Formats: sequence, C-alpha cells, structure tokens
Amino acid sequence: MKHQSKLSAEQHQQHAAEQQTQSKSAREFASAEELLRYDAAHTPVPPDIARRLQKSVGPAKPPPRSWWRNLFGW
Amino acid sequence: MREPTAGCEALTAPPAELASTEFSSLYAENSRAIYYLALRYLSDPQKAEDATHDVFLKAFRKLDQFRGEASLRTWLYRIAINHCQNLRQGWHDRHVFSNVDDAVWENAVARTDSPLRVLETKELGQRIQKALDGLSDEYRLLLLLVADEELSYEQVGVLVGQSPDAVRGKLHRARKVFAALFEKTA
Repeated sequence: MKHQSKLSAEQHQQHAAEQQTQSKSAREFASAEELLRYDAAHTPVPPDIARRLQKSVGPAKPPPRSWWRNLFGW
Repeated sequence: MREPTAGCEALTAPPAELASTEFSSLYAENSRAIYYLALRYLSDPQKAEDATHDVFLKAFRKLDQFRGEASLRTWLYRIAINHCQNLRQGWHDRHVFSNVDDAVWENAVARTDSPLRVLETKELGQRIQKALDGLSDEYRLLLLLVADEELSYEQVGVLVGQSPDAVRGKLHRARKVFAALFEKTA
C-alpha cells in the first residue's frame, strides 16, 4: 500500500511537472499576422548581406573639394 | 495595423543628397523586413540572402529616382516584390509546381477565430514556412505584407494592386487557409 501510494505520488508529481513545462512553452497567437511578426522578430538577418552590399556599393564618395582648391586648381 | 499619419513617411531631403551613412540607415531600418519577406516568400535562405542583397543594391542605384511619393519602406517592398516574383516566375517556368487550390482550404474546418496555439517554438519557423508554402502566391504575399505593422491596408493595397477593402476580404480568407495549413504541420 505504501509502495503504491509512493508510486502514485511520484506519478502525480511528474504529471504536474509536465503540465507546468507545457504551459511555459506554449504560446498563443491571436492571428496569423501576430505569428509571423513573432517569427520575423526571431529571424536574424545574415550579416553577410551587409558585407556583400558594402563590396557591391563600393567605397564611400570622397568629400567635395574645398572652394579654394577649386579656385587655385589644386 | 497602424494607420500612418499624413506626411510622416516622406523624405526630408531629396534622394540625390543622401550620403552613404544614410543608405546605411536605410539598410539598418529595413533589412529585417525585406529579408523576412524574401525568406518566407522564396522559401530558401540562400535565395533570400541573394534577393535581399540585390534589392538593396537596386535601391542604392535608384535612390535618385525616388521622389518621396511613397514611404521608403513601401518603395523597398515594391522593388523586393518585383524581384521575388520574377525569381519565382523563372522557377515556375522551369519546374512543375503543385498548384494549391486555396478554395479547398477555405472550406476546411479551421478554427480561424481561435488563437494559433504553439506548444514548442523551436521549429516554429519550419512550420510557418510549410504553411506558407501551401498558400497561393497572392495569399502568401498578402499575409507577409500585412504582418508588417508599418504598412497600412492602403499601402498593402497599392503593393498588391487591390483596394483596401479587397485586401481586407482576401486577408480574411488567407488567414483561414493559413490556420488550416498551420494546424496540419503540428
């Protein structure tokens, strides 16, 4: 009897723990858009895109020539 | 979805005067939105990466043509949508795609008014992609655009060539189909 009650107590604890875990990880989204927003917020942009873009765009434009350089033709 | 206040999206300086640091800001502010659209529309991370790069490169080269009539975000989406649709059209011409009939799923028993419940978020991206892949291009694009809170229904309508009312109507059906497909991925 004691063994049985110990087992059922353990089973009860395990079941309660499983329910708690499920309730923690379960999420509800009111709409498809909300689900997609969550997904988008957790989807990082690959950093390689910025690096490739930098190469493709090329170096930054040089600053404009000073007026006195233009005046003296330097 | 937020409705934008009048004039809040217009550029304050003509595009020709944008310096490279402003282009960096343009990229920083919009890359996530554009990449996400490309990723979920094209269903391929590598293609999405290439498409995002190409979209921003086009934007950089065409900045002088941007007149500020639409928001920058809308303008970028226009470039991205055209680019991604051209890519998909190219694949469609070369491969046989199973054409999902949205009408079949619209009548499916989907508890569309019930929240979408997710027990495990670990593989959520895969499930979402699978559900989106089952949609028609039209419904997929609509949901992805509407998911961007910075776009109004009017702006979405302009991007998909529909009136705001038509957008709302199709959105209702798209949600229904998506929910039914998403339930099947569990």
